[in-house]
Amino acid sequence: MRGDPVRGHLDGLLLAALEGGPLHGYAIITAVQQRSAGALELRTGTVYPALNRLERTGLLRSTWESVGERRRRCYELTDAGRRALADERTAWREFTSAIGSVLDPGRAPRPAT
Amino acid sequence: MTADDTGAAPGAAPGAAPGAAEHGAAEHGAVEDHLAALAAALHGPARVKSRMLAEVRDGLADATDAHTAAGAPSRPAAAARAVRDFGTVAEVGPAFQRELTIAQARQTARIVALIVPFLMACWYLVGATAEDAGGQLPAAVHVLAANLGGLAAVAALLAAGSLAATGAFSRRPATPRQLPLVVAWTGTTAAVALAVSALTLTAGAVLAQHWPAGALAGAATLVAHTRLAASARACRHCAQLAR
Repeated sequence: MRGDPVRGHLDGLLLAALEGGPLHGYAIITAVQQRSAGALELRTGTVYPALNRLERTGLLRSTWESVGERRRRCYELTDAGRRALADERTAWREFTSAIGSVLDPGRAPRPAT
Repeated sequence: MTADDTGAAPGAAPGAAPGAAEHGAAEHGAVEDHLAALAAALHGPARVKSRMLAEVRDGLADATDAHTAAGAPSRPAAAARAVRDFGTVAEVGPAFQRELTIAQARQTARIVALIVPFLMACWYLVGATAEDAGGQLPAAVHVLAANLGGLAAVAALLAAGSLAATGAFSRRPATPRQLPLVVAWTGTTAAVALAVSALTLTAGAVLAQHWPAGALAGAATLVAHTRLAASARACRHCAQLAR
């Protein structure tokens, strides 16, 4: 799955990938791909500007770290980022619950949590 | 366009020297060619652009390592795959440019919001001390200074609002597309106001025979005008690219 459906949720995916602790750009991309068992393909070039934007708006903070001869920019969630991730999760559960109850009327809708 | 870039990929990696292993040269080619193409397409504050490209270079190196470890037939093939997964300049360039345009707009807005009110305050101080010293500024200078002061206040408020709308206190995930252009023209207007202020009040200070302080403030205003005009020009250019 690639393109617009993934792009619309890119911020939430990146915030979720960082929930476990700080990661650098490529490790974030790998984490999203692994968690989705390869179903979500990201144009890796779209991730870096998105990380920049999330940092600018205060949802992430970053530091440069040296690993051998290579320097990597590591990102971590801020408190505002954790709140934004929680909001994103709530919105996603409500959305999937509402759509699911229409597409699959045989199943009782799950209450949003 | 002083705040703009040179188009060169900064911090070029210590790539393969002539005669180096074929694989190294090919890897250097795929990643560095892509970085050079991206660098040529992007415009914005040099420091921000350089940081973005350095991060991309690291990311592509990590991706090359990962594809090599996962069994790519060769390191050049791994590098080519990393570049392919990254996306073409046409695909990913606009997202980078949007961030650079906002960075340029924030730089312009910072100059307007901080320096313009400071200089206007300096000018009023010069005008007041000239009159205290017995000099008399012409009425036209008073009228013009009042109008320019009002214009500067509006520009500073607009700039401060733009900084708030694009920074950490913004509650909007997306920046309005027209905002960088608004900041660019706010900066341009403020730059013109500074130039007119410098001329008017220097002339006024000379007429009031209070020229040393007036000349000093005029020189400071001219420096600020040059800096602001360059930043606003770069901002207009970036805003056009990001539309």
